[in-house]
Amino acid sequence: MTEMLSIKGGTKIFYRGTQDERRALDGLNVTLESGDFCIVIGSNGAGKSSFLNAVSGKLPLDSGKIFIDGQDVTKLNAHRRAQFIARVFQDPMIGTAPTMTIGENMLLAELRGKRRSFAYGLTAARRARYREQLAELNLGLENRLDMQVGLLSGGQRQSLSLVMAVSTHPQLLLLDEHTAALDPRTAKLVMDTTVRAVEELKLTTMMVTHNMEHAINYGNRIIMMDAGKVLVDIGPEEKSGITVMDLIDRFHTKSDAIALQGA
Amino acid sequence: MLDVFNSFYGLIPVTIAQSLIVSFVVLGVMLPFRILNFPDLTSEGAFPLGGCVCGTLIAAGVNPFLAVFIALLCGFAAGCTTAFIHLRFKINTLLAGILVMTMLYSINLRIMGRTNIPLFTYDTAFTFLAGSAANFAWVKIAIVGGLVILVVAAMLYFFMSEKGTSMRAVGASPDMAEAQGINVSTATIMGVGVASALSATGGSIMVQTQGFADVNMGFGILINGLAALIIGEAITGRQTILRQVLAPVIGSLIYYQLISFCLTLGLAPADLKFATGAFVLLMLALPNLRKSGGGSQIREKIRE
Repeated sequence: MTEMLSIKGGTKIFYRGTQDERRALDGLNVTLESGDFCIVIGSNGAGKSSFLNAVSGKLPLDSGKIFIDGQDVTKLNAHRRAQFIARVFQDPMIGTAPTMTIGENMLLAELRGKRRSFAYGLTAARRARYREQLAELNLGLENRLDMQVGLLSGGQRQSLSLVMAVSTHPQLLLLDEHTAALDPRTAKLVMDTTVRAVEELKLTTMMVTHNMEHAINYGNRIIMMDAGKVLVDIGPEEKSGITVMDLIDRFHTKSDAIALQGA
Repeated sequence: MLDVFNSFYGLIPVTIAQSLIVSFVVLGVMLPFRILNFPDLTSEGAFPLGGCVCGTLIAAGVNPFLAVFIALLCGFAAGCTTAFIHLRFKINTLLAGILVMTMLYSINLRIMGRTNIPLFTYDTAFTFLAGSAANFAWVKIAIVGGLVILVVAAMLYFFMSEKGTSMRAVGASPDMAEAQGINVSTATIMGVGVASALSATGGSIMVQTQGFADVNMGFGILINGLAALIIGEAITGRQTILRQVLAPVIGSLIYYQLISFCLTLGLAPADLKFATGAFVLLMLALPNLRKSGGGSQIREKIRE
């Protein structure tokens, strides 16, 4: 096992020195082994999103260090870190380019973190490959490579986002409540696809969710956050066999202040 | 009525030549507005900048092709400045454009040293290519038209290349572009720079066909360009990149014939800017008038 992601003493303070000062991340220490599927839970404002954004580079840390695959990426900005990280956003509108076609979106994802040349983009070879990759979704997207993504439903766009993210075998996959904006049936479909891809490709994955069922059923690790720190870290041995009630108990014994949702 | 049509008919070639030159500006308006989602006003200053730089250099005896190229580079720098001001200091894109455009007026005056330089007696790119036939409208149309076709073809290819697709992604969804490892700032600066370079090229060709460079040339060119773009898009649509790249040229060709027709019908030149402004306003307001309230798809988005 090798360390794929590690954040050491990650600290981010918003509105420092004012009345509204808020510690979004407070000396956060987390390490993910290669192949870990880590679920991050916690109430609103616990620091889940800040954690994710700090890893992706969207949120520069005030202090602390971040390593991906052994490399210190603390000083790299978001577009430079994209060579390691693929990300699926909560809002299906953000994760894809709506006015561009499905094929062009796939092309953008394929070139994630690579040098982009002046060569023609959507070559016949690429189109054939994208069709194959999209066919696995069983949504018929493989026949609509030239359709604008904005015309797809939220679920279709999120599924496309996911294919775009996993097809490039990222060192690290970040899922930011990526099923929260979908109806239950579509959410399950996207979740199933996620799990299949993560297990098949053995991707190191970090998934933020508010959905306790998802937290229980998926992944091999749960990190519970509060006030910018890790409150509970449940590893693989303990995680199998844990129930929603156990989780809530752990939450309460650690901090009564945390209100759980979706339980 | 017949003589109105006669004089309009007689003006068609001259108008085509003019609209082909302005289509560079319309392409330069389209790129930031439509591809980068970056409403940019720099064209209004880059067009006379190109004219003034080119005019001054030609009057100083510089080769006219080199003069056009240097004008193009100056335009590029102006566009980069606007984009940089927006990105670095978080100043609204429109305000950044107005700042650069206003400062360019002084720069243009400084470059020329006076408000007007006549170029009738100098060799231009047109006299180089066509000799004494340079003043015929159809000769101008052939030369400028050829260049327009080259530029449109180059833009079309670029926007379908790997680099061009990334630039379009920056306009379509900046968050997504960044997550795919695209440097949003670089793409924006390059895109707005190229757009202003196009406008400056238009200005540098314009001074060579009209025979003089003037610091006040192209006042209101941006609104003309926008009107032409809107007309073009109404005809070609925007669904594919081919349509989006053709729209400026087609729009420019039609828009200037319309203007010419209105003028021969008796529209006072003084009212022209009002008429153009009212037209652009109407076209932008139309989607909102049609379905009051909604209309999220067509609503103009402005990047903060």
